[in-house]
This record gives sequence, C-alpha cells and structure tokens, in this order.
Amino acid sequence: MTALAAEDITLVDLVDRVLNKGVVLTGDVTLSVADVDLVYVGLRVLLASAGTLDRLERER
Amino acid sequence: MISAAQGTGVYVYGVFASGAPAPHGVETVEHDGLVALVRDVPLDEFGEEALPTHLNDREWLERQVRGHEDVLASAAEAATVVPFRFGVICHDRSDVARLLDEHRELLQRDLLRVDGCEELGVKVWYESPQAPASDASDDAPAGGRAYLERRRDSRRRALELAAEREVLVADVHDRLARYSVASVVNRPQPKELSGREEQMLLNAAYLVRRGDETLAQEIASLRAEHAMSGYAFELTGPWPPYNFVGEDA
Repeated sequence: MTALAAEDITLVDLVDRVLNKGVVLTGDVTLSVADVDLVYVGLRVLLASAGTLDRLERER
Repeated sequence: MISAAQGTGVYVYGVFASGAPAPHGVETVEHDGLVALVRDVPLDEFGEEALPTHLNDREWLERQVRGHEDVLASAAEAATVVPFRFGVICHDRSDVARLLDEHRELLQRDLLRVDGCEELGVKVWYESPQAPASDASDDAPAGGRAYLERRRDSRRRALELAAEREVLVADVHDRLARYSVASVVNRPQPKELSGREEQMLLNAAYLVRRGDETLAQEIASLRAEHAMSGYAFELTGPWPPYNFVGEDA
C-alpha cells in the first residue's frame, strides 16, 4: 500500500493534525499565540457555513 | 520607537534526536542532546498581533499548514521526530534552547515513545443504502394500525442497523489496534467538514513501527470482507506521530 501523495491529503485532515495535535509548549520564552484556539480559527477559515462551526464548537 | 511588528521570531517545527540531518532549508538549535527544527519568521506575519489576522487568510493558512507538515514529514524520513503543533514561536535561538531545557522531560519521553514509529490514519465510512421505493401500501391513509406498525418496524430496523455499525467499528478498531504500538480514537468528522456524503464512523490514528505494512494489509482484508456492503476503509499516512505526543498523549 503506497502512501497518499501530499496533494491528496485533504486540507481538513492536515489542519486536524497540524493545528489540533502535536506538542504545545508555552512559557516566558514563547510568543503567546498558543492562547488562540488554533483549530477553531483554522476550521472557521475552511468552512463556508458559520452555523456548522457554532455546532462544532458546542460539541467540543 | 521600535514597532512590535518588526523583526523576526524563531518558529519551532518540532524536535528530533541528535545527530540526524535536518531537512533542506531548515535550521536546527541543539541543546543537550535535543535538536529543534526551526526557521526564522517575520513578526509582521507571526507576531502575537499579526498571527490571528493571518490565520483568517485561507491561502496563508494552507501554505503554513502544508509547510509545517512538509518539514516534519521529511525530517521523519531521517530520524524519529516529535511534531509540535503549529504556532510555537520563540523570540530568538537562545530562547529555543531554554524551551528545550524547560521541557526536556516531556520531550525525551515523547522521543522515546515514538522512537522508530510512524502514524497511520484510518477512517471508516458508511453509506446508507438507498431508501426502497415506496410501495402502494404506503399510500394507505396515515393513522391506520398498519401504518403505525410499519413505522415501528422501520424504526426498530434503523436501531438494529446502528447497533450493527457500532459493533463493526469496535471490531475494526480492535483488529487494527492489534497491529499497532498505540492508538487514538478521535471524534468522527461531521459531513460538513469531511465534505463527503457518507457518514464517518471511525476516525482513528495508529502508531506503528516504521515501514510495518501489517496494518495496511489488515485494511486490505477489511475491504475485501466488506466489499459492496456500504462500508469504506480509508488509510492515510504515514504521518509524523502528531496524535502520540504532548501533554494529552
């Protein structure tokens, strides 16, 4: 089974990992961007319907 | 007066074990056996005030998210990598070293946990069969006893099918987990997000030994077993082990 080519990976899958998973380190030595709910903001940009986003947020 | 928007910060992609070559175009900050993969970024894009605005720019976001993944994926070809979430940015390189120092325990634990491993994503989809064309009896006046019985039967059937799907998904996950070092079951994405008509039943990630194809073979078996049944099995990856690092892992 060959891996999917990068362009085949849907952006949602990518955003779900890159903005939602992985190590988050904060502290005096980092800029405080981690305060932003990244995946929420990221998905908002990807989703046409704001109503969808409100529902997703409630289900979190 | 110097504007806060000027200058550069240091973006950290993740950490990998010392001694491995960094991907082309990526720099490293080494501290006591840990190596951070970094690049300088302009603060007028990545600063505390600018970033939230840029995140709302779809093209910018897509470029950054793909860039983040590309760096980590190519680093992972050379060595075990602990991926960071997008957006860990330090003021300068000495702060990156301090960051590695402060979080040494967590980072070394993660490096050990995902050593020699990669992540595979699995989704199980289900497409409901087309509703059968209504027969003549459906035209009977509503409210009759037959009508109520039909409704009750169809509701019971729907519940049975939902229960069957639940059992199947649990079984699929158990079978796949057997071929993995660790697994994470995430919430299925709703249709609005997946962009597909089918219902997502399983959205899971499996940590496997690098190059181990047994899980992919199991997916092939599942596809064969469930051919034409409305179930679809999707395999993505290999990914850097995003789902298996960090405080929550």
